[in-house]
Amino acid sequence: MTPYRLAAGGLIDRRAHLSFTFDGKPLTGYAGDSLASALLANGRLLVGRSFKYHRPRGILTAGAAEPNALMTIGRDGRTEANTRATMQELYDGLEARSQSRWPSLAFDIGALNGLLSPFLGAGFYYKTFMWPAPLWEKLYEPFIRKAAGLGTAAHVADPDAYEKCWAHCDLLVIGAGPAGLAAALTAGRAGARVILVDEHAAAGGTLLSETARIGGLPAPAFVAQTMAELEALENVTILLRTTAVGWYDGQVFGAVERVQKHVRVPAAARPVERLWRIVAQKALLATGAEERPLVFGGNDIPGVMMAGAMRTYLNRYGVAPGRQVAIFTSNDSGYALAADLEAQGIVPEIIVDSRADASPSYAGKARIVTGAVVSDAQGGKALSAITVLRNGQTETVKVDALAMAGGFSPIIHLACHRGGKPQWSDAQSAFLAPGDLVGLDLAGAVATTAGIAACLAEGARTATALLEQMSFNATPATFGTVEGDIVSAPNPVPARPLWTVPGVRGKAFVDFQNDVHRGDLDLAVQEGYGHVELAKRYTTNGMATDQGKLSNVNAIGLLAEARGISPADVGTTTFRPFYTPVSFGALAGPHHGHDFQPVRRSPLHDWARRLGATFVETGLWYRSSFFPRVGETSWRESVDREVLNVRAHAGLCDVSMLGKIEICGHDAAEFLNRVYSNAFLKLPVGKARYGLMLREDGMIYDDGTTSRLSENHYVMTTTTAYAAGVMNHLEYCAQVLWPDLDVRLASSTDQWAQMAIAGPKARLILQTIVNEDLSNDAFPFLAAREVSLFGRALHGRLFRISFSGELAYELAVPAGYGESVAEALMEAGAPHGIQPYGVEALGVLRIEKGHVTHNEINGTATAADLGFGKMVSTTKPDFIGKAMVGRPGLVDPERAQLVGVLPLDPTTSFRTGSHILAQGAAATLENDQGYVTSSAYSPHVGSTIGLALVTRGAERHGEAVMIWNGIRNEFTPGRLCDPVFVDPGNEKLHV
Amino acid sequence: MSDLRITRPLTPQPALRGCTRLVSRAIRLEALPEGHVIQVLGTPHAPLAMERLAPLSDGAPQAVRAAGPGQWFIVGDRAKTHAELGDILAALQPEAFGVDQSAGRVRIRASGPMVERMLAKGTAVDLALTRFPVGEATTTLVGHIAAHVTRIGDEAFEIMVLRGFAQSLWDDLARMSAEFLED
Repeated sequence: MTPYRLAAGGLIDRRAHLSFTFDGKPLTGYAGDSLASALLANGRLLVGRSFKYHRPRGILTAGAAEPNALMTIGRDGRTEANTRATMQELYDGLEARSQSRWPSLAFDIGALNGLLSPFLGAGFYYKTFMWPAPLWEKLYEPFIRKAAGLGTAAHVADPDAYEKCWAHCDLLVIGAGPAGLAAALTAGRAGARVILVDEHAAAGGTLLSETARIGGLPAPAFVAQTMAELEALENVTILLRTTAVGWYDGQVFGAVERVQKHVRVPAAARPVERLWRIVAQKALLATGAEERPLVFGGNDIPGVMMAGAMRTYLNRYGVAPGRQVAIFTSNDSGYALAADLEAQGIVPEIIVDSRADASPSYAGKARIVTGAVVSDAQGGKALSAITVLRNGQTETVKVDALAMAGGFSPIIHLACHRGGKPQWSDAQSAFLAPGDLVGLDLAGAVATTAGIAACLAEGARTATALLEQMSFNATPATFGTVEGDIVSAPNPVPARPLWTVPGVRGKAFVDFQNDVHRGDLDLAVQEGYGHVELAKRYTTNGMATDQGKLSNVNAIGLLAEARGISPADVGTTTFRPFYTPVSFGALAGPHHGHDFQPVRRSPLHDWARRLGATFVETGLWYRSSFFPRVGETSWRESVDREVLNVRAHAGLCDVSMLGKIEICGHDAAEFLNRVYSNAFLKLPVGKARYGLMLREDGMIYDDGTTSRLSENHYVMTTTTAYAAGVMNHLEYCAQVLWPDLDVRLASSTDQWAQMAIAGPKARLILQTIVNEDLSNDAFPFLAAREVSLFGRALHGRLFRISFSGELAYELAVPAGYGESVAEALMEAGAPHGIQPYGVEALGVLRIEKGHVTHNEINGTATAADLGFGKMVSTTKPDFIGKAMVGRPGLVDPERAQLVGVLPLDPTTSFRTGSHILAQGAAATLENDQGYVTSSAYSPHVGSTIGLALVTRGAERHGEAVMIWNGIRNEFTPGRLCDPVFVDPGNEKLHV
Repeated sequence: MSDLRITRPLTPQPALRGCTRLVSRAIRLEALPEGHVIQVLGTPHAPLAMERLAPLSDGAPQAVRAAGPGQWFIVGDRAKTHAELGDILAALQPEAFGVDQSAGRVRIRASGPMVERMLAKGTAVDLALTRFPVGEATTTLVGHIAAHVTRIGDEAFEIMVLRGFAQSLWDDLARMSAEFLED
């Protein structure tokens, strides 16, 4: 045991004990602890095993970049793998489990991989599992997959709610450290709408780990005071526990709020996570900087930690990192830690400064060795000693904790999410944000500004400039004197990076999470994978959940030295959202299960449900599929009955979901005449006409009827599937193609409950509720008029159109009255044998009648192909599709044409999608002559029937063919025939 | 004509029957009566003046709402008779055509101090009072569902949706309101 809790100090509440478990062992911490600080305070140095070599790993950081302390939190549906202990707030009852170990963290069989490490270098898998090839799929891949992966997901559903949300502001401030707080305060006081986000539970950033005083207050007290003022401003929204994860087009920022990830049992009415999409006029990135590790042997042994993290554990959480502490630094920042340690009575054993010319303003007692490095650390599950190398001489120092301070890399990720490339600065020894950002500015350590006072001033100043661009009258917030600022000189010289530590003997890790060490990068360069993008793939450096937050810049520096070029010439890999991992739950929000997509309900839905309908999803609509009756044992039995009943008596079918478009305007007739390929100019008032709409390329787009209700008012029906598409098409035609025409369009699909009443008894039944005379003379085929119902209690629209081939009407009534009217019709029709029928029967009826739908209008069919050649006007001056409809490919006599198909033996059957072969032809694709577009069992015909698109089909009626289902290897001898199986003379329509 | 006539009492079924009001101090969600909704189709080139349309409404504030270039909705809680509707449609002529959408659109009123926060879970539109003042209206997605949103008060909105989606939208709004319904 080395780390321990200090008796006093820190921002924890020592009176509030929290119980938690780690790998089943009960432990306690305090309110205000992170899981990581609580583990350290309990002396838990070993918290995980590494991914590849299963090396013992400890806590490395105190923040978002943590690569080692990845744990599985919670159980069952609330299991969350790869939780960073450094980011997880401690709560009472928290259950944490270590990962990548078996059977236990202390004794891990997988650590044998470490012994094999000479063979497991970069590219090992690529080189080793190349042959014999068949083994890849059967043996190697399953084995590697089993061994790979970080953590294990639960196999039960997550019980918690997730949410998505929008927010809008003038200024978005990302990061509530000194620069961010100063910016938010400046903007808040100016009256701007401000959103301040910070990924931690408490605002303040590094100020919470500082010993400096600002305006006479300790830094954390200064934060509290500033936050109190911000919270009191109505125009400021503060989102803590919220990580800004991406910057997107349109000034939209993605952010994930962990609303209830810090409680044992989340409140059901609130989400556990909330995905914010923040639209900001301007944004300020105040994300600070990430401290870089130093790459020496054994730098991953538990007990080795980032210097800044050590300060955080010491000052914020009251946890001492050890009793014998060493500091290895390449810059002045390591000395701030030394001073803080000494203030707690821990004099560092040694400060190893890689700079020969170091002259820190340090007045402590620790021994300083300059021009030296820590070449190796020793220890297994805990650090025991370090080797200090100076001028070729080595010295072993016994320590139980080692801090490493390798300089700082600005956290510029978000600034690069829209394609900008980071720029290397030799002067700052860092990759800086692209210089040409629009709508986003940076302040504080992310802009390489050092020191609290300078960050406060820069935050206020930058915010003022952004606010002035938005015409706000802003004054930069000012703050009292900063005492004990970490930067002593006003213009500190940035640390010279120390990429290659000399004298290393052990494994020197660059990427802790992926077990990539220095030798792997050297190998990548040797083998020709020195390009930064190739090196990443070859070594896996910078992959997985931390995406190289700690490792990328070191890897670039090492690649640069290995290749003898500047980091500027190596460049970076591409920064993409998300900055930190985002749960699938947050991305899905509430849209899963029942709420995956909205339901569109017909006004007759409940009526159909009461009659026992089985529903089928058609896009978002739920349509009644069929209405099974007691005793019926299969859907086919129900559908056959419904079909026969329509042909013998009458049926009622809900067709409310067919698209309905009101077309008004003084040029509506001309408009329709151009939209349809057939003539519409002279359609009389009170009549419907079947219309064919072509695409510009001459193929059919959609079909339906359009009725003229008055001189300048038409209503068009579309297929259910194309309702929205046709509406868009018409709007495009009206607004873009022919803006000179006076046409106005409105969708009225939802206004009407529409029902088809079909069958020889349809008129008898309908007449009982319709006032107007429905006799064939008074209301002939294709009549379309407003009618009054039930006396004059209600008005509706009546169309005498037929999809079934029977005497049929479609009656539309205002949606709210749909159920009443349907019930009245069922009541009136009962003596005449009316039954409801669903879309299955509707489909059979239309196939029997040879009516096409989008099975046939498949995007490659012309009007002539489907037998509508005469509906393409030769006299109209223009209509959509006219220019292309005559091109040779569309009038080729070999084209597939609509034809009916029957099995030779009525007891045999075939399926939709089966192909047509000439009799005696071999079953090859070369011999394919077309395919069955629709098929059904026809109770009227007494066998399966089909519609098909077959080469020269229209002239081949009567020809015997083979119907070939290549997938099931089924062959059905069949015969091509007229596609109209019922009433080819259309006599029933006119009775 | 047949001699048999059915004249039965007709009862319209509201799309949101069974959706009881949800009320807390923070939020209030209620289905509005299925009164009248008239879609006015003018032209973008010659927009109608509000003064022309207001007299055709019941006179309630925000009874006339913009619905895109040259288009408006006239809404109200009272169902219009067939004759009344005919008169309104005729009165819109010749500049505009009217389409009766009284049954095709369903209105939901959402109000309360947290109403902007609640709606922000569904719409990308900035609903801050300064940006979206009383009387402002727009068509937007609320979650996955297209809706027409009108601000009818400092803390009150009317959301109009296609009838077929009304139940799904209600369910969504209820879920979005859940955290504010715990008084």
